Amino acid sequence: MRKILLALMAMLPAVAFSQGFQVNLGGQKQIGMGHTGTGLVQDGASVFFNPGAVAMLPENSIQAGISPLLFKSVFNPSGTDAQYRTANKVATPFSAYAVWGPKASSWKLGLGVYTPFGGLTDWGNNWQGKYVLQSLDLKAIFFQPTLSIKLADFISIGGGFVYSHGIVNLKRAIPVADANGQDGQAELKGSGHGYGWNAGVFMKTESGITVGISYRSKATTTIESGNAIFRVPSALQSSFPQPNTFRAGIPLPSTTSLGLGFYPSKQWTLALDANLVAWHVYKSLDFDYAQNTPTLQDTHSPRLYRDGFSLRGGAEYKPVTKWAIRGGGGYSSTAAQDGYVTPEVPDANRYYLTAGLGYKVANRLDLDLSFEYEHLFKRTQTNIEANFAGTYKSNVYIPGVSLTYHW
Amino acid sequence: MNKIKHIFLLTAGVLALGACKPEVDTLVATTQGTADFSRYIAVGNSLTSGFADGGLYREGQLNSFPAIIAEQMKKVGGGEFTQPLFTEQQADGSGYLMLKSLSAEGLPVTQQIAPAAVRGQITVPTSATSTVNVTLYTKYTGDINNYGVPGIKLLTSTLPAYGNLNGYFERLLPNSAPNNNTSYIDFVTAKPFTFFSNWLGNNDALGYATAGGASDELTDKATFSALYNQVLNKLTMGGQKGVVATIPDVTSIPYFNTVTVNAILATVKKANPSVQALYINARVSSETANTTYAARPATAADLVVLTFPTSKIGQPVATPAGNLPYGLTPLTPIENQYVLDVNEAARARDYVASYNTTIKAVAASKGIAVADIYTFLNGIKQNGLVENGINLSSQYISGGLFSLDGIHLTPRGYAVVANEFIKAINKQYGSDIPQANISAYRGVKFP
Repeated sequence: MRKILLALMAMLPAVAFSQGFQVNLGGQKQIGMGHTGTGLVQDGASVFFNPGAVAMLPENSIQAGISPLLFKSVFNPSGTDAQYRTANKVATPFSAYAVWGPKASSWKLGLGVYTPFGGLTDWGNNWQGKYVLQSLDLKAIFFQPTLSIKLADFISIGGGFVYSHGIVNLKRAIPVADANGQDGQAELKGSGHGYGWNAGVFMKTESGITVGISYRSKATTTIESGNAIFRVPSALQSSFPQPNTFRAGIPLPSTTSLGLGFYPSKQWTLALDANLVAWHVYKSLDFDYAQNTPTLQDTHSPRLYRDGFSLRGGAEYKPVTKWAIRGGGGYSSTAAQDGYVTPEVPDANRYYLTAGLGYKVANRLDLDLSFEYEHLFKRTQTNIEANFAGTYKSNVYIPGVSLTYHW
Repeated sequence: MNKIKHIFLLTAGVLALGACKPEVDTLVATTQGTADFSRYIAVGNSLTSGFADGGLYREGQLNSFPAIIAEQMKKVGGGEFTQPLFTEQQADGSGYLMLKSLSAEGLPVTQQIAPAAVRGQITVPTSATSTVNVTLYTKYTGDINNYGVPGIKLLTSTLPAYGNLNGYFERLLPNSAPNNNTSYIDFVTAKPFTFFSNWLGNNDALGYATAGGASDELTDKATFSALYNQVLNKLTMGGQKGVVATIPDVTSIPYFNTVTVNAILATVKKANPSVQALYINARVSSETANTTYAARPATAADLVVLTFPTSKIGQPVATPAGNLPYGLTPLTPIENQYVLDVNEAARARDYVASYNTTIKAVAASKGIAVADIYTFLNGIKQNGLVENGINLSSQYISGGLFSLDGIHLTPRGYAVVANEFIKAINKQYGSDIPQANISAYRGVKFP
């Protein structure tokens, strides 16, 4: 008779993506220059920055780089003296490119494998926001075959097809205590894929300024059958049937870029990039569980992202042919509106400073080092869905190294 | 080798940078404002003692709301806070309820954990003709900051003989029943203190309500006012600051909203579709002077208590008209003690409103902070409460706030209430006691 509906509602995880998850680590030379490159012809990373420029590359090349990323975030819940920090975990975004075309031909083929989106945030199992998020590990790997054609000496175009592979692992505490008072936990993990394309055009103007425009399409990556694991007290097991699967779509937004290159002298290259990231596609995040119960319902969490923009600038100085010194920086606006910031990535407006060093190890082998420091501005937020209030501040440290062989 | 050195230096530089933690300016908890938290005492009943799951036991005591407040107070100069804990050997204290299982329909099956700290029972005369049985618990000796005594009313807080009638109070007193003659309020104010919380008054209405209006009586409004003034005068005699709390609407708790008339009726109808109504023995008027009871069909506005044994429904009851099914005819109504009928509920609400007017007026006259728990819990009943991603509500078990007895709170519920007290204290005295982390406290334990 004491009928109780175990309406343990809204204890289900939701993933949020934001500017923070756009990794922007396309290549070491470009990172060193403030992650500019849409309007330059530097190396095989043009596959990522502007497939239109690939045909302008003077040589064939193959390269690989890695940018270990350390995201350090702190959270202070409103009205408290407590500080919670993310664990020191290193994500490993990487990029690899191959570009080939017959010498003196007007076309080139390219292949890029890179990680334009990803995140690794681990707040631990005992912090104040554990029912919002314990940890998230997300990667999206893009595979992109590309064709680029030089239409004339001063203009080339290119385009590529994108296959994206996404991997997610999200953990969140469920507020049901077991006999020892320990929380339940939801873990959602799985992988999925999606498709997209990109295209670009590259021009050399008479004034010597180079101009690039590129577009990378949205690539909605769908996890069709992820593993939904719920660790709950046995009395509640029937409310969280196991095994269970979920379906979720991750809208990885389109990016439109305009880039300019300036060459004041033989030693100097200056670059400017502007990006518009169409985050507005990310309106809500929906999880569709294969098996529902009155407790375990599909979830629809509003995200209501708005488009973000970035402005970047960078310079490269080659005092001698063997060495290149690079520097740059930029600013990105947040995609998460007030009220929708989550600890998955405590997104905020951010600036970044970068430095890089290039060294010709041998005639055909380049070694490039890069370092990026990002600072996300302090942001005091109350997440509407979770009523989770506090102040976030984050720094990101990204060293990187790549090797390029060209011929 | 040179480039390896470069890489090494760069890596070292990065690691050094990585060691720099981002910092935020947190609340700088430095001031106690115009209050002095060096010796905080908690005055009140079961809710103050940490009573939960129908008993007083060590885990509940450790998570009492005054203990949570005191822990936060320490960050702004609060002193040690000692509770009259049951020992670890007698951690189960008075015994309590545990959730044993959930039936296939999601109905809770509870289990009684045996008491561990009972030292005996005595019979104490309360008048020339009546006596009361008092369960006595292992005596506590030592310093006390949390004076919460389950069962105490404002009405009984000034009675010198009360230490013989309440085993939880007797436990704290130096003498054994029936030889006590120190009133509760004299006892708690005997040792100097600088700050107090006072949440007396719940039982003055709750005792009546949980008894279905059958055996207890509401404390007279004027008496309540006089006693509240008396108690607060005593607590502020040395110029002490403090915080008082309003009395929750007794009908807003799961104890009265879980076993409903409609739910019982629906189950009965499944077995016997011809049944039209449940009958209850109900008060005919909410006027204090009119104490007439009569049988009538129950409505959704009549509140059945959580402890009502629903198996009684339909059992044959001998009447002048022969055996009739319990609860289903006007001759065999559900007994008074199982139902807070609409008129009884109206009386309880009316008295609580009056008590709260008194509490707020007396507090205002002395410049004492008020934690308006009445408004706070009514808000949760209406809208629920989402905090830190946790959905809290007044629902039995699943709501997370109320313990298995449907009246007292879970550790998480007490943490939520502690934060309301802290907000009220900070507002009144300009202090900055940090909020407690409710995520660190549990709701109901599931097997």
